[in-house]
Amino acid sequence: MTPRAVLRSSWFAPLLALLACYALFSGLAPDTFPGATNLWTMARQTVVVAIAAVGMTYVILLGGIDLSVGSGVAITTVVVAASLRQGIGPAGAMALGVLLPALVGAATGGLVARLRITPFIVTLGTMSLLRGAAKGLADEQKIDADPHGLDTLMSAPLPGEFRLPPGVAIAVLVATLAAIALRYSVFGRHVTAIGSNEQTARLCGVPVSRVKIAVYALSGLLAGLAGIMEYATLTVGDPTDSIGLELEVIAAVVIGGGSLSGGQGSIVGALIGALLMTVIKTGCTHIGLPNWVQEILTGAIIVVAVALDRVRKR
Amino acid sequence: MIQIGPVRRRLLAFGLALGISLVPGCGKKTQSESGAAGSAPARLRIAVIPKGTTHEFWKSVHAGAAKAARELDVDIVWKGPLKEDDLKSQIELVQSFTAQKASGIVLAPLNDKALVSSVDAAVAAQIPVVIFDSALAGGKVSSFVATDNRAAGRLAGERLVKLLDGKGKVAVLRYQEGSASTRDREEGFLEVVKKAPEIEVVSDNQYGGATTETAASASESLLLAKNAAKGGLHGVFTPNESTTFGMLRALENTKLDGKLRFVGFDASDKLVEAVRKGSIDGLVLQNPFNMGYLAVKAITAKLKNQPVEARTDTGAELLDKQNIDEPAMKELVKPDLAKWLK
Repeated sequence: MTPRAVLRSSWFAPLLALLACYALFSGLAPDTFPGATNLWTMARQTVVVAIAAVGMTYVILLGGIDLSVGSGVAITTVVVAASLRQGIGPAGAMALGVLLPALVGAATGGLVARLRITPFIVTLGTMSLLRGAAKGLADEQKIDADPHGLDTLMSAPLPGEFRLPPGVAIAVLVATLAAIALRYSVFGRHVTAIGSNEQTARLCGVPVSRVKIAVYALSGLLAGLAGIMEYATLTVGDPTDSIGLELEVIAAVVIGGGSLSGGQGSIVGALIGALLMTVIKTGCTHIGLPNWVQEILTGAIIVVAVALDRVRKR
Repeated sequence: MIQIGPVRRRLLAFGLALGISLVPGCGKKTQSESGAAGSAPARLRIAVIPKGTTHEFWKSVHAGAAKAARELDVDIVWKGPLKEDDLKSQIELVQSFTAQKASGIVLAPLNDKALVSSVDAAVAAQIPVVIFDSALAGGKVSSFVATDNRAAGRLAGERLVKLLDGKGKVAVLRYQEGSASTRDREEGFLEVVKKAPEIEVVSDNQYGGATTETAASASESLLLAKNAAKGGLHGVFTPNESTTFGMLRALENTKLDGKLRFVGFDASDKLVEAVRKGSIDGLVLQNPFNMGYLAVKAITAKLKNQPVEARTDTGAELLDKQNIDEPAMKELVKPDLAKWLK
């Protein structure tokens, strides 16, 4: 990218905001906040939102929304824990874990594309449906199971030891692949085309229904992958986990320059948005702010980001 | 130039808005907690992580922790999960306090297994951890500070035996399958009453269930089945707030309140009122204030290399008609939170 292209890209302003917040908290808590330990901790704590935000970027580019992400993450932690307890190995448990949200995602895409139901309504339904299923499957309790090494995906390196947590590497890999696909593949071009103008895209021969089904399935699949990372963090299957996570994920995409009316947004921007929220969350803990201040701050940042989205479009 | 103009303008807008949204909160902060940002490295800074921040119980814990901090001249950072009772936020909090090298962590774990690895990571980073309220399954913790539920159950048992002059038929209405704390209370109670030669336990396998509603109907069935109205039952014990309230409702409905000796657990306005009326003979009360106080004391002792008990009982008290107006009991039922949290 040329310097001018970087300057003009939609994620440049959020990147500045991220750096500004980082500098601010580093100034307020100079002993602890800028350290390597904290950077790695923040990277690990961003993984779940970041992976889900990659899927959400595709959905939002399409002009859609997916409210079922939090429930998808929760049911995945339950399915993974239950599978491990049944003696299915870690690989099988992970495969089963992503399968359900991916299938529900594909069905969502089908309803959105073929019956023309607004995605807000469909995913509002699947949000409740998956949440209920998770609670039923887990017998309304948390499920304990030996993680069989899955916990190392997200565990902290020992003091003095240097290793990249696999969860962080996976998130970076997923984001890179998704960004490349979005920019250079026919599929990625179709997604942006539909989000910009669905009628035109249809007239130009874009297979709108197929693309929509694929995008919602992808969002479900990535919610499942995020769920595996969530399980690695929790080490128990928790059906009440991640309530409201979808809003955090949507916020990450929007902060990163995504437009809820479709056609705009980037993977890099979504990652920056996710990181920004982690920086605020961690920073507030480091300087000892009470929760209510932290919530007000996060809300303010989201509103500012969306307001900026409007200003930019003028 | 035409392109750069709007870019500059939007950057300015973003930066300005961000600055405005950040400054008030942080400005206030730096005034109120001076030692927080590590200005005096020798001062101990202890993170206290409850299960939630809005319930009355945790406010009492907070007040106790604040009292200990004031007495011992250490700083505490009181920080609960952002979402009440949310496991993931609690794990992230432990990780954050580890990364920022808090002097010590005091934690009431939301789950006995899920927090083990984060706690071990903190200990590996030379940050000692004291667990309070609920146990952790494993983990290299310095101390565990909580109500000894078995002892609290024994306290209830001893009182009921005394009320019955050592003879009669008693029953316990259990709370719920799989609840460890209440099971310990029930076992402690049974341990004592079974030792009394002339006391007969006529029922110990009935459960009240999760809500007051289910507890009330289970209580009515129990009272009917044991023919309580005709002297088939002389004393009852219930191990938590919902079963106690359910049993109270059942006794009132069957006009048996005051006729049976009744020892319950936990306080609410209605239960305390029933003690005053004589419908309940005694209530075992936990001491959340003391829990917060002793947990912060334990971690401070550990950090100063003083000996620390592996297990500390924060005590339980029995509220009855005689002591209901004593200042110490009033303090337990309704602690003066404002005194310590201001």
